[in-house]
Amino acid sequence: MIPFIELALNGIVSGLVIGLAALSITLVFGVARFPNAATGDVMSLGAFAALAGASASGTLLIGGVFGIAVAAFVSLACYFLVFQKLSSRPPVASLLASIGVAFVIRAVMGVVFGHQQKVFDLPLARPWRVLDIRFHPTDLKISLAALATLVAVFLILHATPIGRRMRAVADDPSLARVSGISPRRIMVALWLLSGAVAGIAGILVGIKTVVTPEMGWDLLLPAFAAAIFGGIGHPVGAVVAGVILGIVQEVATPFVGFTYKIALSFAVLLAVLLIRPKGLFGTVAGAR
Amino acid sequence: MNLTRRTTLQSLAAAALAPALGGQAFAQGATFRIGALNPVTGAGSPYGSGMQKMILAAAEMVNAAGGAGGRKFEVFAEDTQTTPQAAVLAAKKLIEVNKVQAVVGTWSSGISLAVIPLTNDANIFLMNTSGAPALSVPPANAKGLSYRFQATNDRFGRAFAELCEKEGFKRPATMAFNNASGIGNTEGFKKAWEKKGGKVVANVVYEPNQTSYRAELQKVLAEKPDVIVTGSYLGDTTIILREWFQTGETTKWVIPAWAANPQLVKAIGNEAAEGLFAVDSISNEGSPAFSAYDAAYQKAMNQPGLSNVYAAMTWDMVVTLALAMEAAGPNADIAAINKKIREVANPDGAKVSTFAEGKEALKKGKINYEGASSVLDFDEFGDVTPDFSVSRVEKGEIKRKYLVKI
Amino acid sequence: MEAYLVAIAIVAAIYVLLALGLNLQYGLTGIINFGHVGFFCVGAYTAALLAEKGWPPLLSFSAAAALAMLAAWPMGLISLKLREDYFAIVSLGFSEVVRLVVTSEKWLTSGVQGITGIPKLFGGLATGLPNSLAVLAVLVAVNLLAIAAMRRIVTSPFGRTIEAIRDNEEAVKALGKDPAAFKIQVLMLGAALAGVAGAFYAHYIGYISPDQFIPLVTFQIWMAIIMGGVGRISGALAGTFILMLFLEGSRFLRDIMPFISEVEMASVRLGVVGLALVLFTLYRPTGLMGDFTRK
Repeated sequence: MIPFIELALNGIVSGLVIGLAALSITLVFGVARFPNAATGDVMSLGAFAALAGASASGTLLIGGVFGIAVAAFVSLACYFLVFQKLSSRPPVASLLASIGVAFVIRAVMGVVFGHQQKVFDLPLARPWRVLDIRFHPTDLKISLAALATLVAVFLILHATPIGRRMRAVADDPSLARVSGISPRRIMVALWLLSGAVAGIAGILVGIKTVVTPEMGWDLLLPAFAAAIFGGIGHPVGAVVAGVILGIVQEVATPFVGFTYKIALSFAVLLAVLLIRPKGLFGTVAGAR
Repeated sequence: MNLTRRTTLQSLAAAALAPALGGQAFAQGATFRIGALNPVTGAGSPYGSGMQKMILAAAEMVNAAGGAGGRKFEVFAEDTQTTPQAAVLAAKKLIEVNKVQAVVGTWSSGISLAVIPLTNDANIFLMNTSGAPALSVPPANAKGLSYRFQATNDRFGRAFAELCEKEGFKRPATMAFNNASGIGNTEGFKKAWEKKGGKVVANVVYEPNQTSYRAELQKVLAEKPDVIVTGSYLGDTTIILREWFQTGETTKWVIPAWAANPQLVKAIGNEAAEGLFAVDSISNEGSPAFSAYDAAYQKAMNQPGLSNVYAAMTWDMVVTLALAMEAAGPNADIAAINKKIREVANPDGAKVSTFAEGKEALKKGKINYEGASSVLDFDEFGDVTPDFSVSRVEKGEIKRKYLVKI
Repeated sequence: MEAYLVAIAIVAAIYVLLALGLNLQYGLTGIINFGHVGFFCVGAYTAALLAEKGWPPLLSFSAAAALAMLAAWPMGLISLKLREDYFAIVSLGFSEVVRLVVTSEKWLTSGVQGITGIPKLFGGLATGLPNSLAVLAVLVAVNLLAIAAMRRIVTSPFGRTIEAIRDNEEAVKALGKDPAAFKIQVLMLGAALAGVAGAFYAHYIGYISPDQFIPLVTFQIWMAIIMGGVGRISGALAGTFILMLFLEGSRFLRDIMPFISEVEMASVRLGVVGLALVLFTLYRPTGLMGDFTRK
């Protein structure tokens, strides 16, 4: 039993991190209406920027803030340079362009930071044992950071005027326009927010694993799965779905093996799309 | 590597102007063309440039010593991009456009396996640094024109087993990255260990690019191994060792040196790294051949020659080929040269360390080239058996402990 | 020199087959297939494994096409249920699952070790340049056949229907035609072309392993059809030509741009694919050759 609990705990942590990536995707998907494949590479960029900031300033905190800022800014730049121009075209155009953007960001990272792995300089700690179950201090911090991000995004969406307008656009773009909401300001806020969340996700993945230019892209498929599973445009859904996927993947490993567990998120994605296209909490009827 | 082509052209031009040789005759009979096919970009990029530069440097050295069998080397360089498709096209170009008579320095098994049908078709040499056992035997090496300068994955596994026996481990487990090389290492270990009468308590093969390997670790640790032997790379090893340390377990680790390097120690910290074993096939350090290579490598790359074992292998490829050509005499064809390769590299003969030395000694009798990468004795499959070193991490330093001969 | 050019032409012809299939799916019906490499992979492995068993090429190639079609059938059913961007994600996942299956099922595919020693086509009849020329000739013939078939499709009632589906699916339904069957057929046809391409690839390269079938291949084909021109047969040809020029040309790029180091070349290659995708989507969505279906 204890191994299972430990696996599940591990799944929760992995899932929270994937959930944050899904949160970034679902924000854009809900309002700008396309799956943004550049999210993964914005994540990696955030992690690299945080590393650079941390080594320049000497503290991880300032580095982290810098990383988040860079990710948010690049995300906004992508909007102005590319996605804004495509907003009147079918979502496919934006999706294709986002893959292009992803490649360009990764190419720049490859040239600037190189392909050698980098790590956040954090001391490793031995676990705490509670009831013979191992808890890891680093995991706890990562989870808290992920939850704090989720709460912040939730507050922004529900307690600020710009957030409420964002949700209004997500629910019904044409109605929102009629009621005089300026789409431009909302889009700026949206892309900044989505970029910042991706940045945080990237930094957390970087702390948990190692930082390479490819790390974000490798997580894209599970993140898409979590975003769709949670219901497009639903922030809490994205994170909850991420956690569920994380737990399922870890706990199912003894049964499906170490190779096919990678395919699990895809299987869940397919099942959700075919059975309940709205996802867990979805309001946007829209898989078809 | 834009210099490559230009330098080659220049040296070619210089050679063509050499007064001793008539222009036409020189172009026809007096050059031997080598294709340097290296992983300059892609996964092999940390090694590729150095490998290429050492092929050029060794060829220059041979030419400076008056050429081999009356012929001078001419090198054409291409990048495999570490992908089979690009490697095949590059090899086609080398064979068809540049008319090379040997392709040297392919890295990673997938590349060598994709290129070898082409070199076989053209009846020319392939000298590789790949580990996959399939390269030794037909259909890959049906013509016996392929030589491997790197230890096979099997041999790595045997070295791991020697180490475990010597250190008194009783319950080893394995973890392998799911690719040909990772699995080759751990399966080679399993075979060797079971031959010694031991039992491997758990074998796990994992997929790369995950955020966590805890499930994999848990499966291995559940069998209470006293040592875990890996076939892994730097990135995944870093994550696995961090997670292992955080479990609080105190298992020992035996890791191939391409993963257990100073970067790993830096990434996981001295405490977690303490006591890790790193195993590496070693260059023939201390040998005169190695000093010659080391000097050339320092000059070309501004780094110690030890940092790139594959570059030492490519250096040896060119020297071995040159010595075989010298032994075969002027205008020998590929088959005649091929007959001489084992003769100049394997024992029974005067030990030599450089091409110039070998060229002299060949006048008196048989020679045995002792290379920079290993003593270079090819078995019937064209494989070498280098020695292995066992290092241990102590207070953040990777310290070499002893050698393992298999 | 000739043999090198022939080698490039062979790889290009294989890519044209892939591009034609994708073009049929996206250009004509609007199906966004991000899993094209999956069908390519199925074709390559089928042909390689059957060749090992001694099947004659005609049969093994047909089997490669048939199995790729079979793999496309459930995908077609799924595509009916999903909006196109959702299907894009699902198809990307599909190709990754195909890769995981060939990685995992060692008893069949020998896993990550890959399949070695796949015989050359016509290896018994000729070697060297004549052999390559024969392979190229067959490839060109297959391409011409595919192009002829596609021309017929475009001008046939079937073609007009699938284009109408792309432009306005509801209207097609209103006319009493079932777009579903058309979509599935188009997806399967494109997959069959990819399967045949895979069979040629396996026999030509002689060695296949799972890591040759990564999504980047799919996106390179996408780059080709988007640059060349969506929905146009000449677009698939032009796009593939540019793609090959770029992929092989980057070998010589270092001579012109010495400031790019070797290691950076891989990143530069990726960046150029990305930039081409972005710029063409933004400024020339119909590609170089334009979309002749919308004169």
